[in-house]
Amino acid sequence: MSLLPGVAPAPVERRPYPTARGLDGEARTILFDAAKCIGCRQCVEACKDWHDLPRGETYRIGATTWLTVEPPVPEGMARIWGRNSCMHCDHPSCAAVCPVEAITKLDEGPVVIVQSACIGCQYCVHACPWHVIAINPVTGRAIKCTMCHDRLGQGAVPFCVRICPVDALHFGPGAEMEARADTLAGEGGGSVYGRREAGGTRVLHVLVGSAAAHGLPAVGSGRYPVHRIPWSTTLRGLLTLTGGPRGKWRAIQSAWRKPWRLKYRYWPR
Amino acid sequence: MGRVLRVDLSAGACRPLDLPDAATLRRLWGGQALATYMLLRLLPLDARALGPENVIVMMTGPITGTGLTPGGTKVCGVFLSPITGYTLGRAATSGFWAVALKAAGYDGLIITGVAARPTYLYLTDGRAELRDAAGVWGLGTRETEDRLRREVGRPDARVACIGPAGEHQALAAMLVNDYNHTAAHGLGAVMGSKRLKAIVAHGTGRPPLHDKPHLLAAGERWRTVLAPRAYTPELRRQNPGFGKVWGALTKYNWRSTIMSDETRGFDRNRVTLRPCFQCPRLCPWDVEIGEGPHAGTTGHFNAGSEWMDAFYNLGFKGNDVLYLAERINDIGIECGHFSNSAALAFEAWEKGLLGPDRTDGLALEWGDLAVTERLLERCARREGWLGNLLAEGPKALAEALGGEARQWAVHTKGGSPAQHDWRPRIADMLANLVASGGMKGQGGFENREPPADLRYRERWGPLDPATPEGWARSHFLLEQLHQACGVMGGCWFAVETFLADDQARSMIEALNATTGWDVTLDEALEVGHRSIVLQGLFATQRGWRAEHDWTDVGPRFLEPVPDGPHQGFTVARWLPGLVQEYYRLSGRHEVSGRPLPSTLARLGLTEFAEWAEPA
Repeated sequence: MSLLPGVAPAPVERRPYPTARGLDGEARTILFDAAKCIGCRQCVEACKDWHDLPRGETYRIGATTWLTVEPPVPEGMARIWGRNSCMHCDHPSCAAVCPVEAITKLDEGPVVIVQSACIGCQYCVHACPWHVIAINPVTGRAIKCTMCHDRLGQGAVPFCVRICPVDALHFGPGAEMEARADTLAGEGGGSVYGRREAGGTRVLHVLVGSAAAHGLPAVGSGRYPVHRIPWSTTLRGLLTLTGGPRGKWRAIQSAWRKPWRLKYRYWPR
Repeated sequence: MGRVLRVDLSAGACRPLDLPDAATLRRLWGGQALATYMLLRLLPLDARALGPENVIVMMTGPITGTGLTPGGTKVCGVFLSPITGYTLGRAATSGFWAVALKAAGYDGLIITGVAARPTYLYLTDGRAELRDAAGVWGLGTRETEDRLRREVGRPDARVACIGPAGEHQALAAMLVNDYNHTAAHGLGAVMGSKRLKAIVAHGTGRPPLHDKPHLLAAGERWRTVLAPRAYTPELRRQNPGFGKVWGALTKYNWRSTIMSDETRGFDRNRVTLRPCFQCPRLCPWDVEIGEGPHAGTTGHFNAGSEWMDAFYNLGFKGNDVLYLAERINDIGIECGHFSNSAALAFEAWEKGLLGPDRTDGLALEWGDLAVTERLLERCARREGWLGNLLAEGPKALAEALGGEARQWAVHTKGGSPAQHDWRPRIADMLANLVASGGMKGQGGFENREPPADLRYRERWGPLDPATPEGWARSHFLLEQLHQACGVMGGCWFAVETFLADDQARSMIEALNATTGWDVTLDEALEVGHRSIVLQGLFATQRGWRAEHDWTDVGPRFLEPVPDGPHQGFTVARWLPGLVQEYYRLSGRHEVSGRPLPSTLARLGLTEFAEWAEPA
């Protein structure tokens, strides 16, 4: 019911994934300024340091590397650098396709895979337009950047942002970061990536070249971009006990209670 | 981790060993101190530097590779110096390679023997393999790095290698790693003598952390101290080198110091900072030359700027200097050693003591790029009479030239001081004189007041830069702190002179958080002192005496400053007293350099009592 006579209440958007408020509900954004990036990969190692991930494999997104700097050449060997990690979409496909609703979108921005809930079906891995989700070979569960949501609760910024030695990474309220991105892009003659892609994201890139030159894919502006989950993955998910009997039971429960979610998984636009 | 890999090149065998016991680690921490302690036990007294019996011990420190502190990047290699033949060779390097060594599962390496053919060592996640290096033998360091990364199939593998200079055992050949980083004092020559072209490391291991939150907090404090001192591209484009701080560069074989337009053309260059692993100081840098005949050439440089002074000293300015610096790093020769040898040859040519009969027809004119490049190549490959002597160094060349040339040489015990004109700076002169001959001096830096965090025990200063009083103490204190920083795996460039509040304390807190120890600053000084004494003991065993520090010096190094704002200044008038004061302060005999028995007892080094100064 609207408090204003004659004004209808705004419809509450039905989200195909769990949402939660972790702090104050204000959406935060990571801003990557490619013009400042020197390709030192301190952000990559900082991510590993905060999350106690193994060293090595620094050039390839995987279970132990949640953030890469592109292209995959030694630091100093390229002129243009890109940042590749979870974009923390406003409308995350990974979360929409998850059969057990193990991926939560926090109001503050982070898209978080709840490890204890994940059944390792790999739908999210294939649904992500940026291909930044991996399967942990030890646990069999999906894993990716968390936007250091545990640090946000302490009033700190993501560790990659904290460690960047050349101020190529910023973090703050979404509107503030958008304005800064526009300013930086205007000053440097660059463009902003991540504002419209996939219906909007919580990671903005100020690019100095084309998206491809920064190692970024072209992603449309529509929410929940079309994905290509392989049939093998789909069939395995349907026909086997992925995640064990409890995982299968949770998937069935979710499908039963929210059958409208199934379209995101099986009938992408 | 917790292991040291022993590599027997003669047998082609690798064997992991446990680190020494906890008590030994607590006394020595790692790095130079632990490596020297191991070397003292391993190296026969009659070993020759380039013989198969020489041993290289390389050690990281506890904070190497934690990622949570600035400067946690160091590995230090020790060996019998091929430059002096009787003192400790010490080669420390930063960048990423030491982190990869730890990630591959090893805190250090012991390398013995000689390989039957050119070989490289490949380390990955606890596995060690000696591989054929025939495909990269003869290549420069840049191409060697690139090729070996491809060969092992790991684009993010880290490579430490030697260039042609190391292969031909030019005495000051370097180890070069991660493009921008170098380890000097002849490690490259020793590796070349062992036919060890490179060590490639890759792995996933992380160093153990005792208390991560504590380490994060200490690292934040350290970063806060360091933040105002970060380098910028603008600084690199404007700076002619460290000598700018006191207004003296080495020019024309140390016969002029006056700065003019050395940086001409630098403003047209594209400079990119290339920091070491997780360090916010941003010292190393790359350049793409933007003007002149070298336009488009790229160069990769380390934190310091000795390589700039090295080529000012040969009559170059502007981007010729950066071009030549890149060439010498690719060839793999320590810049000061080459510079002081070549500059001596140039001066001898200028004064008619050297003619074309001994230069294979080259006319040694100051600032001649083509000639200098030829000399670099000849030095690296020991070609001809002059090339071979350039590879031997300035002292040998001066002896061979004979006559007055002996007076024109710059060297300390046969090695080159770090290539800056230190002559106007008392503490830095002392640091270079007492260093192990061609080894980068530790300490120095003209601290006119005590390091800030030592005010609780040090109450002196400000010192007068024109008089000798107090400088031995200033140097010795900083040497201890630099040693402590190094042996914990830290980099001096991430602490500089310790003049800032909380610099030393945050550093030690980082060590304690990493290890679980409860080290105090007093104990840190003691560990630094222990490392200094071990370094001296190694040399004592092989015939070194403290008096060599002031008697075996190239005379030009002790001449009065020839011109500029410090004209006429020299520390020579205070020798040997200045050096002797330093040895007294460090508990060693002022002439023999041997530690006093009481010093060994206090530092827990009585096992070396036979090398103490007799009572």
